[in-house]
Amino acid sequence: MWIPIQINENSAEPLYHQIETQLRSLIVSGQIEEGTLLPSIREFAGSLNCSVITVRRVYQDLENEGLLRTKQGTGTFVASVGAGERDAYRRTVVQEAVEAAVDTGISVQYKEDELKNLFLQILKQKYGDAKSKGEFK
Amino acid sequence: MTWAAEQINAIEMKGVVKEGRRKTIGPLDLRIPQGYVVALVGPNGSGKSTIMNLMLQTIHPDAGEISWYGGPANQALPLDLKQRIGYVPENPALEENFLTAREAAEFRSHWYPTWNQQRFEALVSRFEIPCGERLNRMSKGERRKFEIAAVLAAGSKLLLLDEPSSGLDPFAWKDMIEQLRACLDQEDVTIVISTHVVEEVKRLADFIVLVHRGRIWGMAEKDALFSIWKEVWVRGAEPEELAEVPGVLSCVPDGPSVVRVLAKNAAGLETEERAGAIQILKSRSLELDEILELWIQGHPPEELIS
Repeated sequence: MWIPIQINENSAEPLYHQIETQLRSLIVSGQIEEGTLLPSIREFAGSLNCSVITVRRVYQDLENEGLLRTKQGTGTFVASVGAGERDAYRRTVVQEAVEAAVDTGISVQYKEDELKNLFLQILKQKYGDAKSKGEFK
Repeated sequence: MTWAAEQINAIEMKGVVKEGRRKTIGPLDLRIPQGYVVALVGPNGSGKSTIMNLMLQTIHPDAGEISWYGGPANQALPLDLKQRIGYVPENPALEENFLTAREAAEFRSHWYPTWNQQRFEALVSRFEIPCGERLNRMSKGERRKFEIAAVLAAGSKLLLLDEPSSGLDPFAWKDMIEQLRACLDQEDVTIVISTHVVEEVKRLADFIVLVHRGRIWGMAEKDALFSIWKEVWVRGAEPEELAEVPGVLSCVPDGPSVVRVLAKNAAGLETEERAGAIQILKSRSLELDEILELWIQGHPPEELIS
């Protein structure tokens, strides 16, 4: 199966970490379903143009986290992700994004009030739009 | 990466020396782990083909030990092992010059019990090899394609490929990469490939071995090797200040108030940026040739696998 992972060769983030972060988010967010058989280590390495050492490390790390399990002779599968874990993950992702936005504000000397107003304005824009389209309840 | 105790080495060289007329190769210490792809890279005449020949036992070392799959060192390669080694030489064997591709394949199939004729036929039609043609009448690329098809059809578990893609057109090259990858899907296939093609290293290798002036400079895991160096364009500091940042090797002014910095991992520079001291405009990873050049100049990767 093809797994949508985007590698940035120029990033300072180590390769195994880029792959691991993206694969984790695909699993926890439910985009790759429980029970899915992942590509073999060699196959995955081939499609990412990385070494099997890197992929093995990613699989091992995620197995240790309980997100993957390996059946001898069959391959590596996606394990079940608890609802609690999924919520915690969603929260972390959003929190990190908001923190990054606030950091950007600080770096250009935005005041707290200005930032808050802007945030509320965007919130209204986005959620208002979505509501009118009926996407959010 | 740590070397697992249970890791089997397809080939192990210890202090191997080969005296040549022009120069001496070695002493060489190298382990080729079973189940991996190891790329030998280095300038022309650095000793890569000699290493391949030592691995094949077509030449014998003047000193040191070579062993295959944990067997006894310096003994004649047992037949059953020879039958599982496939080789694409840098220059094709003269002995087959007057055979057609089909005759040469028949000859080889006699020596390889695992020869798969069906696979050979499939590769021949895929690569469009003129099978009735004498090998010395083929173009360089056609003959290369025959060599690759023949080595893949032999069902080898150890492939020694000496610049296999030289002369191939880009389409055949892509096919070759795909076929080699498919071959790796089988359990425990090991490939040693010597190459000057960066893309080949990127797409196939797990480990990279630098060979230079008859010596092995070390073996590094590919992804670790490719991630060591960053070239970063920085604004907001003088070259002299940047030279103090941990990991920075060199700084060159590059346009008004911009400095081009070469750094071993960009973590030090990123810390400076977060502190607001500098601004990173862009960065890029170095290419293999640049990484090897630095290695030869005395800046090896830190995580070398001996």
